[in-house]
Parts: sequence; C-alpha cells; structure tokens
Amino acid sequence: MTTTKIKLRLNQQQLELIDDTVRAGESNSREHLVRRALHEFVKANLPQREKDR
Amino acid sequence: MTSSDRKLLYEHIIQPGTGKALEMRRGQILRIAQTSGRQCADFNCFNLHDYKEFFHTGRTRHLHGLHPTTGDFLWSAPPRERPMMAIIEDTVGTNDVLYPRCSAFLFEYQYGLPVHTNCHDIQAEAQREYGLTPDDVHDSFNFFMHTGVGQDGHPFIAKNTAGPGDYVELLAMIDVLAVPNVCGADVMMTSDFELKPLKLSLYEGTEVDWARVTEPPKMRNQRNPLHFKVKNIKADRELYKDAAYTPDFTNVPIQIADLEVELTGEEMGLLSELVKTGKYGNTDADVLRYVFFTWWIGEFMRGPKHVPK
Repeated sequence: MTTTKIKLRLNQQQLELIDDTVRAGESNSREHLVRRALHEFVKANLPQREKDR
Repeated sequence: MTSSDRKLLYEHIIQPGTGKALEMRRGQILRIAQTSGRQCADFNCFNLHDYKEFFHTGRTRHLHGLHPTTGDFLWSAPPRERPMMAIIEDTVGTNDVLYPRCSAFLFEYQYGLPVHTNCHDIQAEAQREYGLTPDDVHDSFNFFMHTGVGQDGHPFIAKNTAGPGDYVELLAMIDVLAVPNVCGADVMMTSDFELKPLKLSLYEGTEVDWARVTEPPKMRNQRNPLHFKVKNIKADRELYKDAAYTPDFTNVPIQIADLEVELTGEEMGLLSELVKTGKYGNTDADVLRYVFFTWWIGEFMRGPKHVPK
C-alpha cells in the first residue's frame, strides 16, 4: 500500500492539546487522531465525496 | 419561595442626565425598569472590594455575542474573568455590548455640542461618590440599546423597542458596585431622541432567583492579585522602567516541531480534494493542520466556537 508522509509544523502547546486529547481516550496516537480529524472533516465538508465512496 | 417573595431593599429613580452607584452584595438583584419606555441604560460594574476588577464588554461579547440576554453573565476583564452578575430576566432582549459609551468628545466632534449629557461623564460623576476618577469609567453594558451590524461590517443603532414597565434583572454573583445611568444621547437613535427616567429596584434574591443561574466555569486562570508579580497598585501617573525587570513570558521560547503523519493513498486523495477547494490553505501540510484544529474546535472546545457557519 502506497503511503505519503505529511509533516505538520506544530508548537509545544499545540502538541499538548493533541496529547491531552489522546490521553482522554479519543485516539490511540497523535497520528491516528489527525487521520480521524481528516476523515470526519471530509464527511462534514465534502459530503458529495463521501457519497461517491 | 418565589421571585415575588423577594424583599425590596431600595428604590430610586434616576433622572435624565444622571446615574447612581449602588453597593450590592452577592445574591442581591438589581432591576432596571423603563418608566415611559424607549430609554437606554448604560451600566458599569466593579468588584466592591477591589475596583481593579471591573466589567469587560470584550469577554462578555466573546462568550455571549453582541446582544447578551437572560441566562448570560457580565464577565470581568482578564485576568480575573469571573461572572460578576447574571442576567436573570430581560423583557425586551435588545441589549448591546458592541458600542462604547458616548462621551463629551463625541458630541463636540459629531454635533458641535461641547457641553452635553454623555454616558462617560455621567458615569464618572456617579462613580466619584466612591472615589473613582474619570479614568476608571469603563466601556458600558448598554441595556435596552437596539443595535446590529450591517452587511458592510459597520454597526448601527436601531429604534429603541422597550416599552413602559419593561425591565432587566441582574443578580450579583460577587459583591459589586453597580452603576446604571440614563444614557445621555438625545440626538442619536439610542433612546428615540428623548431622555426619560429609569427606575432602579434593589432586592434580596431568593432561591428561585439563584435557580435561574447556570453554574459558571471555575478555572485556574481566573486570577486575582495574589497571582500578580506586581502586588501593589501603581499610585503615580508617570511611567518609568523597572531596572530589575527580566522578561518571564508564558511558554517562551515557543518550540516548533514536526509531527509526521502517514496517510494512505485514499487519505491523500481526500486531502487533495480539500486542497483543490482553495479554502483551507495552500500546501498539504497547511490544509491538514487547518483540518485538524477546525475539527478539534467543533468536537471538543467548550463555549461558542467562533468559526464561520
């Protein structure tokens, strides 16, 4: 499976927010949380794309 | 016990051109009522035991929008940021925290009237009873002021819709000095081009009144002077440098790091579609960061979201 690595430029406060969210049980890793955000954002903002899937 | 069982502590009519500073203890209620109607009431509020804590239009506007009403709080300025008063009744619903108080300058500049009733000077005169100076007057909560923002982004003042007997009720969440005044603007739309008296009634609140107040947030960052590095209030007017000062800003230096996120081909396809819209940023990384934080705000942030609909 082809994958692509995207580097998000974040500061320590932004990472703290991500880590807090992971610790709260919303995801099992920083990376997974960002990917979850992508899927849910697309679902809310590109509904046609979701329908076509 | 009902609201009608409240004990009346004080009544006072504020005449056009005047205001009144009132000491209120936690749990007491101030009713500001129309007499003949269509009259704006400007309002200032201080912590009775520390006048450096005062009502803040900005934080109130941020948390409750441009027209706070029943169920909303009057917040104090950062870094205190406590609910000072709660609006427990509002029979009109046309309040404003967008416009600043009118002032002598405004009437001189816009109308050529150098001596004219204005909310800043009325507030200053009422607050003088408690030793405050004109510099202590702050931006007002404007009760019964009917305002909006036009499509061009400019605010406007609309016709006052308050009728005789309409009122707002404010429950003191802490001990306060509450200062309502009859808005002095008679050549603006604010009070329908006529200055009218307002009736003030001070009550002892009841359990029924407290039941109408939602539990406000309690956060570590609602600070007080015990948290301040400078403990004393500056007592002279000149500003001069503290030779012993060394900067101590929060979380500085800001440290940047890369968070590597591995996306599948399908996820890259989704991201590319978002990039193509041109709405979220220019690069894949910028768009993914935008997506993440916008999503996080929608999912987890408390209070108003402040994002476009």
